Amino acid sequence: MKRILVIDDAATVRLYHREILEQAGFAVTEAVNGLEALEKLETGPPFDLYLVDINMPKLDGYGFLRALRKKDIPQAPAIMISTESSPSDRADALMAGANLYIIKPIKPDQLLPLVRGLLGEERQP
Amino acid sequence: MPKSTIISDEDFQKFREFFYRKTGMLFEDSKRYFVDKRLLERMTATGCESFRTYFTMLRFQASGAELQTLINAMTVNETYFFREEYQFRCLVDSILKEIITHHPASRPIRIWSVPSSSGEEPYGIAMYLLEHWPQLEHWDVEIISSDIDTRILEQARAGLYASRAIQHVPAPLLKKYFRRMGAQYQISQTLREAVEFTRVNVHDTADMRSHRHFDVIFCRNLLIYFDDLSRKKTAESFFDALNPGGFICLGHSESMSRISPLFQIRRFPEAIVYQKPLEAR
Amino acid sequence: MALKKGQPTPPSHSPGERQDARNLETLLQTLLDEDPSKRRWAARDLAEHPAATGALVSRLRRETDATVLQVIVTALGCLANDEAIRGLIDCLYSENAMLRNTAIEVLKELPDPVAPHMGELLHDADPDVRIFAVNVLESLRHPQVEAWLVEVILKDEHINVCATAVDLLGEVGGPQSRDALAALKQRFPEEPYIQFAADLALKRIGVE
Ligand SMILES: C[S@@+](CC[C@H](N)C(=O)[O-])C[C@H]1O[C@@H](n2cnc3c(N)ncnc32)[C@H](O)[C@@H]1O
Repeated sequence: MKRILVIDDAATVRLYHREILEQAGFAVTEAVNGLEALEKLETGPPFDLYLVDINMPKLDGYGFLRALRKKDIPQAPAIMISTESSPSDRADALMAGANLYIIKPIKPDQLLPLVRGLLGEERQP
Repeated sequence: MPKSTIISDEDFQKFREFFYRKTGMLFEDSKRYFVDKRLLERMTATGCESFRTYFTMLRFQASGAELQTLINAMTVNETYFFREEYQFRCLVDSILKEIITHHPASRPIRIWSVPSSSGEEPYGIAMYLLEHWPQLEHWDVEIISSDIDTRILEQARAGLYASRAIQHVPAPLLKKYFRRMGAQYQISQTLREAVEFTRVNVHDTADMRSHRHFDVIFCRNLLIYFDDLSRKKTAESFFDALNPGGFICLGHSESMSRISPLFQIRRFPEAIVYQKPLEAR
Repeated sequence: MALKKGQPTPPSHSPGERQDARNLETLLQTLLDEDPSKRRWAARDLAEHPAATGALVSRLRRETDATVLQVIVTALGCLANDEAIRGLIDCLYSENAMLRNTAIEVLKELPDPVAPHMGELLHDADPDVRIFAVNVLESLRHPQVEAWLVEVILKDEHINVCATAVDLLGEVGGPQSRDALAALKQRFPEEPYIQFAADLALKRIGVE
């Protein structure tokens, strides 16, 4: 089962993503901020995808991605989620190491194809 | 009891604020009974008829003696030997190994165990070094251990323990490092001479200024008693108490990820610990 | 070589580390020192000098070292006077995400001094600032939190401001929030997240 790390400081958002992704057959782990996400990387098997909020305490989404991309571990795609829509944010997210940048609020039928696409699973039954 | 010795809601609030500012310990409403009880005890002991007189004394007494006594009464000192032992393993097998790669040979390696409570943790560290760190032949290691509670520090210096505290000490170590004294066990003189105990309030910048240049800090089961802002403040002081490249070990239910971004997360086979970057200034 | 008793650090431990007087004037000077570690020590000590609030706030705008920034924000949180609170609130408008997020964390801890500013922040023209303001409400132990959140989900036009608020209502909301949550679902019928979060909040509040 593919493992996805959901990083967001809002509990409801994590739960929302968890339900969508678990129903689609993914295994979900949660982290409340970028630092905790980095800690999760140290304590378990690697993840296949990251779903990353931008604004979080302690370490934000950009900081997490920059640290992630420097790590000597199997790299996996990351989707950055933002509430803003200014073009510079998108550029910053991609620079920091995101593969995709999407704007909240997110609909399940929008998220799942993106996730499957990044995981190379487009042609799911 | 005269009516005036009842502690009102406002008194409780005022006291809580004051105590929090002094120590970082924040009492939730659910602790009200415990706090009132301790306050009333101290009021009786000092002969204060009303909360107001007591509170005034607490705040303005020049020696601070009553505040210290009250702090002693309010702290939770529970601890035992080899609590969270995996971190001691991590110390001897991983942390020190890394530290000696960059530590100047002319200087001792400094370890700070704070809070010490009755001394089980720093003495345990000393025992571990003696037993499991052969490099001790080539290095001097200084251990300092501190607590806010002066009564518990006296106990730590005396090094006398009931059997409950030593239940996780393996028999050979018990034999080697303890002496039986009636129902109690006293820790050996070698160990008592290896640990310096000092009184420190981690919230006091002057106290913290005099505790610096450490390579490893153990701060376990203290931050859980603090609120977020005090935790952050304490973590930041520890950052400056460490040498660059120094490590901090927290209790197993505590994570720096929720406290401060100043440190790097380091994973060793035995434990996750936090490091002040080697290049930090 | 062996185990030894360590000693507390003497005031002049290593060369160049003179024990400077820790009075207000020298501390304010040290806040501008080129050594970040000295700036951190100064900021930490200044947390006990309300008169230094202005200096800390203006240093916040210029400071480039992330570790010093953290300590200054903490110091302002400890001072918690109105000038300090205003300084922290200004950080919500900062381009520096780390600074913004740290300020939010600290503001969350200060219900009483932050409360008078909440009304204004929740009506800021910038939706991002309103989102940050709602974030501050998260753990603000203040009796008015629920009322503020209800107002947000009834009136705020920006979906993400409402989304952030409804997330918190699940934690702090009581029966008074029920109508507002139902109204929110009506306002954004096509948004699965809002439906999900509002239902969750309603479930947590309980029916009766
Ligand atoms: C539960 S003990 C922890 C002992 C040991 N480190 C362990 O993990 O077993 C907590 C200790 O923290 C001390 N303490 C509480 N507030 C403190 C403060 N502001 N500064 C220093 N020590 C404090 C108490 O006196 C108490 O001895």
